[in-house]
Amino acid sequence: MHMATTSAPQPIVHLSHVDKDYKLGAVTVSALKQVSLEIAPGEFTVIAGPSGSGKTTLLNLIGCVDVATRGEVVVAGQDTGKLSEGDLTRLRLNALGFIFQSFNLVGVLDAFQNVEFPLLLQKKLNGAQRKERVMDLLHKVGIADYAHHRPGELSGGQRQRVAIARALVTYPRIVLADEPTANLDSVTGTQILDLMQELNREGTTFLFSTHDPHVVSRAGRVVRLVDGRIVTEPDEQSQSSHA
Amino acid sequence: MILIHIALRNLLTHKIKSAIVGGLLVFAALLIILGLSLISSIDTSMSKSIVNSVAGHIQLQEKGAKDELSIFGQMGSNEIGYIHNFAEIRKAIEALPEVAAVVPMGIDSSIVFGGNVLDVKLEALRNAVKAGDAKQVDIVRRHVRRMVALLDEELKNLKGFSDQEKMSDDMKQGVIDVTAANQPVFWDSFDQDPFAHLEFLENKIAKMAIGEDMLMLRYVGTDTERFRKVFDRFEMVDGTPIPPGQRGFLINKFTYEEQVKHKTARRLDKIKDRLAEGAKIATDDEIKQWIKLNRTQYKEITFQLDDAATADVKAALQDELQTKEADMAKLVDAFMDVNDGNFQKRYDLFYKVVAPRIRLYGIRVGDIMTINGFSQSGYATTVNVKMYGTFRFHGLDRSTMAGAFNVLDLMTYRDLLGYMTADKKAEIAKLQAQSGIKELKRDTAEAELFGDGAGEQVEDASDATPAQAAAVTPTDAPAAASPTAVATATPGGSAKLFAKELESHVYSQDELDGGVVRSAAIMLKPDVDLKVGMAKVNALIDEKKFALKALDWRAASGLVGNFVGVIYAVLAFSIFVIFLVSLVIINNSLVMSTLERTREIGTMRAIGAQRWEILLMFMVEAFVMAIVFGAIGCALGYSIVAYFGHFGLLANNDFMIFLSGGPRFYPALPGWGLPVAMIAVLIVTLISTLYPAWLAMRITPLAAMQDSE
Ligand SMILES: Nc1ncnc2c1ncn2[C@@H]1O[C@H](COP(=O)(O)OP(=O)(O)OP(=O)(O)O)[C@@H](O)[C@H]1O
Ligand SMILES: [Mg+2]
Repeated sequence: MHMATTSAPQPIVHLSHVDKDYKLGAVTVSALKQVSLEIAPGEFTVIAGPSGSGKTTLLNLIGCVDVATRGEVVVAGQDTGKLSEGDLTRLRLNALGFIFQSFNLVGVLDAFQNVEFPLLLQKKLNGAQRKERVMDLLHKVGIADYAHHRPGELSGGQRQRVAIARALVTYPRIVLADEPTANLDSVTGTQILDLMQELNREGTTFLFSTHDPHVVSRAGRVVRLVDGRIVTEPDEQSQSSHA
Repeated sequence: MILIHIALRNLLTHKIKSAIVGGLLVFAALLIILGLSLISSIDTSMSKSIVNSVAGHIQLQEKGAKDELSIFGQMGSNEIGYIHNFAEIRKAIEALPEVAAVVPMGIDSSIVFGGNVLDVKLEALRNAVKAGDAKQVDIVRRHVRRMVALLDEELKNLKGFSDQEKMSDDMKQGVIDVTAANQPVFWDSFDQDPFAHLEFLENKIAKMAIGEDMLMLRYVGTDTERFRKVFDRFEMVDGTPIPPGQRGFLINKFTYEEQVKHKTARRLDKIKDRLAEGAKIATDDEIKQWIKLNRTQYKEITFQLDDAATADVKAALQDELQTKEADMAKLVDAFMDVNDGNFQKRYDLFYKVVAPRIRLYGIRVGDIMTINGFSQSGYATTVNVKMYGTFRFHGLDRSTMAGAFNVLDLMTYRDLLGYMTADKKAEIAKLQAQSGIKELKRDTAEAELFGDGAGEQVEDASDATPAQAAAVTPTDAPAAASPTAVATATPGGSAKLFAKELESHVYSQDELDGGVVRSAAIMLKPDVDLKVGMAKVNALIDEKKFALKALDWRAASGLVGNFVGVIYAVLAFSIFVIFLVSLVIINNSLVMSTLERTREIGTMRAIGAQRWEILLMFMVEAFVMAIVFGAIGCALGYSIVAYFGHFGLLANNDFMIFLSGGPRFYPALPGWGLPVAMIAVLIVTLISTLYPAWLAMRITPLAAMQDSE
């Protein structure tokens, strides 16, 4: 599966022959079967597929929050199968950004603090630098006015914007999003998608799942999953329509 | 930083959880603060009570003695040993810079007889006879005759109950004598030979009436002058201190009121006190019981009234009761049947009319008391000693425990103890020889007693009982002690002189310190730490090879001293329980909140928080909780302690008074109380956070992904 399509020399994500089994008592569920995939910098990739097809499972493996049963998962140049729990956590902190379906903001912190949180974990920037970076991101996602509102005081769309800012604040190599628009109405979902696309144009690599055909139509590249297998090669046409 | 911020925010957000956990922590801190201040205050005030009344800081007793010294402990267990070389010990220990004084001691209990009413009346009769006042003789004689009749009646009743066989020969003879004295022929012949009759009554009859005035007194035999000076709680109430070096007895005002006072009067006092506390006769069963006793024990009053007094009292009671009733028994009964309406009036009337005509206190200042000891060698010993006055331990006037201690001079104490090593015996004999006191031999005693004309009486009345009685007067008075002759004084007898001399003899400090003592109290100088003092004393004991054991006041005061230990245990236990409960509840509520926060924690993990950072977050949260609520609890506890420390807490029973060393209890928190409480709360919180924190640590980032299923 190959190649010529992506010209970038160093893929951010590289999966080869990945299986993921879930054991439910005596029964073993094969959530992913022989999945091989590469994500190059700058891509805006959608994982599409019916419910239960393995989209979330795939994102979890790439997001280093779960490990493959078989096969190799390389993220940002690191073979995740060989990393310790602490290293995986550091990899998530420094190389990955997460956007969740239910936003998952820390309820007791305001928008600013939520966005600042990963920077605090990184301990790389001082207060002033952090403030600048956070405000920059809040501006980008158009929510600077709400910096000191707590999630409870924000709408779903606003919360997801805060979540996007939080995912981007560390300048991750790739942002992973599992159905980021599923909990939003279609108008807001479209706005969020617009925002993500805009950020993608500014250089951020996105990989997200959806089963909304409308969202799929806007993807730079579509990875189609059925029953844990990738069934459709990246669509040359849709990719060219953007990049 | 952010973790503290999150922790604080969490506390504010999860209000119910915070309220429960916070409440518990506040309560735990409060409990520790209150408990600690209670204990340490009781410890200090009780130490004041005990140390400054009888115990001193340290007590010395013989090393290897069978029983450990127990100042407030049970009687009976009394094999606490003897200290023979007190003078040497005192000198050595008082030389220590930490020690203020060493006071010799011996604590014991004895049966004490005050002069009974019959004795007093007989003395009055003798005086009247001597003065040749026929009218007075007649008045007093009739009263005495009535008393003898009552005594006879009482003994007859007693005979009905008790087994004749078991009566001692003395007792049997006594009953016969009383019956003889109750015959008209005895009284008809009184004028013919008043002194012989008097002696018969004094020697044979009075002792049969003695039960009335029998007291069980606990006393500390000591160098009374040193005792008075060293124990600053000691203060005289009535009378005078025992003159330095002299024999004498001081009765504790508490004991004096409780035991020595006329029983009817005492009961009226107690009713008055109880009413002053707000009780009502109509509803108070104990008061009713006292009233009942006053009504049935009318004899306590009528027995003491002679004809003139009877007439006065009768008139007053008839007037008060508006009755023509002539029977005194019925009058007193009716008078004592008080109620809430008439109590105060009758109380006043009693003290105005009745009290001056009866013996209000069985023993009065200046009286000679007869103490019946049971010596260590097993002999009954009897000594007579003058009662100089009453005293109290300041602040402890109402405490049964401190109030039970009376004070006896050391020489008399030693007589009672009857303990003599061979050396000591010789020494005492020598001392007595030096001070001109000869042992009173029975035969010479008799001769001396009946010296002037008494012999005649003996011969004259040789067919009558009185003479026989008189011939065997000082029966069981031991040689070392003064003869009973003091109580039943013979005019002009040398025995009286002997007793007088003994009474006023001034013993030197060497004599006081030279004899045997049972224990010694060491009073440390102010601000000397007890542990330091103890160590110094022990070092000295080792160095000088004294056969002594040193006990701190706590140990020496027996159970009472351990009381603080008991409270400590109770407090420790309740704190333990409260902590256990807090542990479980805090743990539970934190587990709940951890589960609630699973997604949040999973998200943090997914975003890149390490496990230890999650753990840290929980610990910070626990820490903040402990600090905030612990501080609130401490502040609350501190305010409560400060409040009562300022205004005091009323000590409403004897034991409380003893514990607080005064009528009010002033709790104070020791300096280390607050840090201890804070640390304890912190530890509990951190421990109860361990499990939930461990759970939180195990939450995987996957928890963030699983969607609102
Ligand atoms: N923790 C798990 N334990 C057991 N089986 C699991 C677990 N997670 C997923 N599966 C199974 O793996 C398969 C893939 O699930 P996954 O959640 O990846 O699908 P999905 O494409 O994300 O579906 P949806 O569109 O409904 O979110 C399903 O059959 C599911 O039942
Ligand atoms: Mg899914």
